[in-house]
Amino acid sequence: MSRRVELEVRDLTKRYSPLVSVGPISFEVHEGEFFSLLGPSGCGKTTTLRCIAGFETLSGGSIRVGGERLDDKPPHRRDVGLVFQNYALFPHLTVFDNVAFGLRLRRMSKVDIAERVDRILQLVDLARMTTRIPAQLSGGQQQRVAIARSLVLEPRILMFDEPLSNLDFKLRLQMREELRNLQRRLGKTSIYVTHDQTEALALSDRIAVLSQGRIEQIGTPEEIYERPTSAFVAEFIGSSNMLPVRIVERGSDLTLVETEGGLRLLCLAAGEATFDGAADIAALIRPERVHVEAPGGAAAPRENRVAARIADVTYLGEDLLLGLELNGGDRLRAAMKNANASRRLAAGQYIEIVIAAADLRLLRR
Amino acid sequence: MSARRPRPLVPLVVATYVGLLAPLVVVIAVSFGPSAAFEFPPRGLTLHWFEAFFESQALVTSFFRVSLVVGVLAAVLATLLGTGAALGLVRFRFFGREALEAFFLAPLLVPEILLGAALYLFYARLAIPASVWTLLGGHLVICTPYVIRTVTAGLVGLDPRLEEAAMSLGATRVQAFFKVTLPLLRSSLLSGAIFAFIISFSDINLALFISGPQSTSLPVQIFSQIQWQGDPTIAAASSLQIVIIGVLILVVQRIFRLRLVT
Amino acid sequence: MEDAQRRRTWLALTGPYALFLLFLLLVPFANVAVYSLHPYSPTKVFLPELTFANYLKIFDVYYLRLFGRTLRLGLITMAVCIVLGYPLAYFLARSRPRMQALCLFLLIMPLMVSAVIRVFGWIVILGRKGLVNQALLVFGLDPVRLLYNETAVVIGLVNVFIPFMVLPIMASIERIPPSLEEAAQNLGANWAQMFRRTILPLSVPGLLSGCLLVYSLSISAFVTPALLGNSRDRMVGQQVYDEVLVSFNWPSASSLALTLIALTGVLMFCALLATRRASRREAAS
Repeated sequence: MSRRVELEVRDLTKRYSPLVSVGPISFEVHEGEFFSLLGPSGCGKTTTLRCIAGFETLSGGSIRVGGERLDDKPPHRRDVGLVFQNYALFPHLTVFDNVAFGLRLRRMSKVDIAERVDRILQLVDLARMTTRIPAQLSGGQQQRVAIARSLVLEPRILMFDEPLSNLDFKLRLQMREELRNLQRRLGKTSIYVTHDQTEALALSDRIAVLSQGRIEQIGTPEEIYERPTSAFVAEFIGSSNMLPVRIVERGSDLTLVETEGGLRLLCLAAGEATFDGAADIAALIRPERVHVEAPGGAAAPRENRVAARIADVTYLGEDLLLGLELNGGDRLRAAMKNANASRRLAAGQYIEIVIAAADLRLLRR
Repeated sequence: MSARRPRPLVPLVVATYVGLLAPLVVVIAVSFGPSAAFEFPPRGLTLHWFEAFFESQALVTSFFRVSLVVGVLAAVLATLLGTGAALGLVRFRFFGREALEAFFLAPLLVPEILLGAALYLFYARLAIPASVWTLLGGHLVICTPYVIRTVTAGLVGLDPRLEEAAMSLGATRVQAFFKVTLPLLRSSLLSGAIFAFIISFSDINLALFISGPQSTSLPVQIFSQIQWQGDPTIAAASSLQIVIIGVLILVVQRIFRLRLVT
Repeated sequence: MEDAQRRRTWLALTGPYALFLLFLLLVPFANVAVYSLHPYSPTKVFLPELTFANYLKIFDVYYLRLFGRTLRLGLITMAVCIVLGYPLAYFLARSRPRMQALCLFLLIMPLMVSAVIRVFGWIVILGRKGLVNQALLVFGLDPVRLLYNETAVVIGLVNVFIPFMVLPIMASIERIPPSLEEAAQNLGANWAQMFRRTILPLSVPGLLSGCLLVYSLSISAFVTPALLGNSRDRMVGQQVYDEVLVSFNWPSASSLALTLIALTGVLMFCALLATRRASRREAAS
């Protein structure tokens, strides 16, 4: 099932100064998709958002919605809803008036306005708050008003600028759930900007990871996590072990690499010829893929079995983190669920770790 | 700024600024012109009127021996009085603090001309002749509130735990004040003092009433000369005042980004 | 005995200025009040009996006209200051820091230079051979009498007091986050609609403050109307000056002064309340 492309951003560029610029950035968002722009602060995600909303002018490239050009329109004539980080609710207006703001500008009849506002407030569960002003609402309620205010105008695209970052932890989880349910229910094409990778993974159909003004990778949460294409993405999403290695021997579907500590490991074939002759290759191993076993076992085919010593143990209740020192000096972190730990592990113990070749991924640093 | 500004805004703002600054520009220009008839734009450039200024006994006296002296004294004394008052207001808890603050800032609410008249009548009743000291007294009334405001703002922004930290390291309260708080207040004190000077130096409303023949301040001198004689010598005097005040304000802006009137 | 020492310190800190204000503010005005309640005498300054005549005199035609003119000119000045000052305040509030610093300097600087000098400049500009008339001559028009009338006074007052309108409004607008403007635009408002529905209502406290400030300063002005106006169409400030230093009718001057102070006092107090209420409402949101 291929869905229609709702938003097309092509070679978007924004130059602030000869040294500071964002782009070129290109991506497509499909109808009904929840698409996240994820990256650390300063990576250009907010700039991209503001370009789509019209608060920044493009230095180059184009933005199209439903096939029509968007970037030549002033911000108040773009059919794109924006939920601001600080909600930007009008402090002097009631909840009702805030939500009705855009409708009133379109000169709808009072009856129509009232009906639509009431309907949307029911949808976000704020039907009883119509006469309150923003100062009387909690953070979560304010956010819902901000969403309702944009939604009531039925925009083609709804955009969110780090909407959960001002909420405390528990509320953030709750609002995250509500946001996802709302979006699924309405099927509204959504673009979500965040620096929080857990949020992005939990909410998105697809994620674009940005760094220093460029897109590093676009993919589904699973693709981004399991098959990162660059060291940045690998390190930004989830925890990672990045072992510097050099290629010893290339096979048809497996490659042999050697770590700095002299360890030889089997990993999946690199695939791209770009690894040839490169000096800055690293092998990515997710800590939860490092399996801890008692010494003395045999390595299965397409598996690596390495002796190691536990350097430190961190007990986190649900999880257990191990700092491991391998023969030769390489260090790794392993993560496991305490419920799965078969016996007590303590610093100083000698163990063996098993890493499947399929769980070792080669990346350029 | 992302919100696009309406197009007529900038021209209107520029026009307003032109209107605002025009009189000052004209005065400075006239002071360099050769004609005695306040010609603008001036036909040539000359320092003749500045020479005349330095030769005019009345103007030089009013500038250096009255306005400058009173200004500096006002700056110093207002800073002392005002800093004490500000410390008393901010660092102590007592009943009626808001009322006292209102009282201390009351001179800001009184129209200057009326304060001048009241002081004149008061001095006259006590048969105190007008002098540099009566002028200074009046100026301290209107200058000190500004010092109180800047120092209060500075104190409020200062973490009281810094003094506590100093005391935990062995300093007495007084030492902590002089070694920690005062240096951190430096910019507030300086800008307050400069304000006091500016206000004293350019005051006209008070000086009109409580200046005397030996203690005529520069603005009063200019005022009477505008009415009675008037040649560009007063423009030269004015230009000097504009430059001095302008430089002082730049200094304040640099050392301390402060809103002067809120 | 920490408390006693603290109390002594407090007295030492606040005492000097408090005493100072007592003797150079409260007492002089008490003196003025006393004068206002005695009848005038050309030989002895005032006579010992008490009277309200000085205040009742204010209802004479001359004084009613005086106050009427003063209040009217104050109103006109305030209105012009709003029209010219509000756009300036918005511009300043939304400017980048360096531009804002420069423009603030250009705004504040004339304020700090003595009013005499600024008025002097206007005399040169508006005079018979002044800049405006020279420009008119270039276009072949007759010179206009621009000085020593109410127009000149209003021009001067606006010039002197407009910063007092601009600064409170600017402070008010600065407290409105730019994201509110963007949100309004995102919801479909063009600049004018955004301004009317978002900025304007939220800037009312600053506007109110500025209006009251400019108004009370204008009605108590002296130097500007004295130099730019004429003796016949004078304002209250000029009358006070005249009665104190020229005709030495101190009782009359005193009643006039206290009436004016009562007026401005009420206005300033309202301005203070307006700013207090605004900051309290923001603190809640």
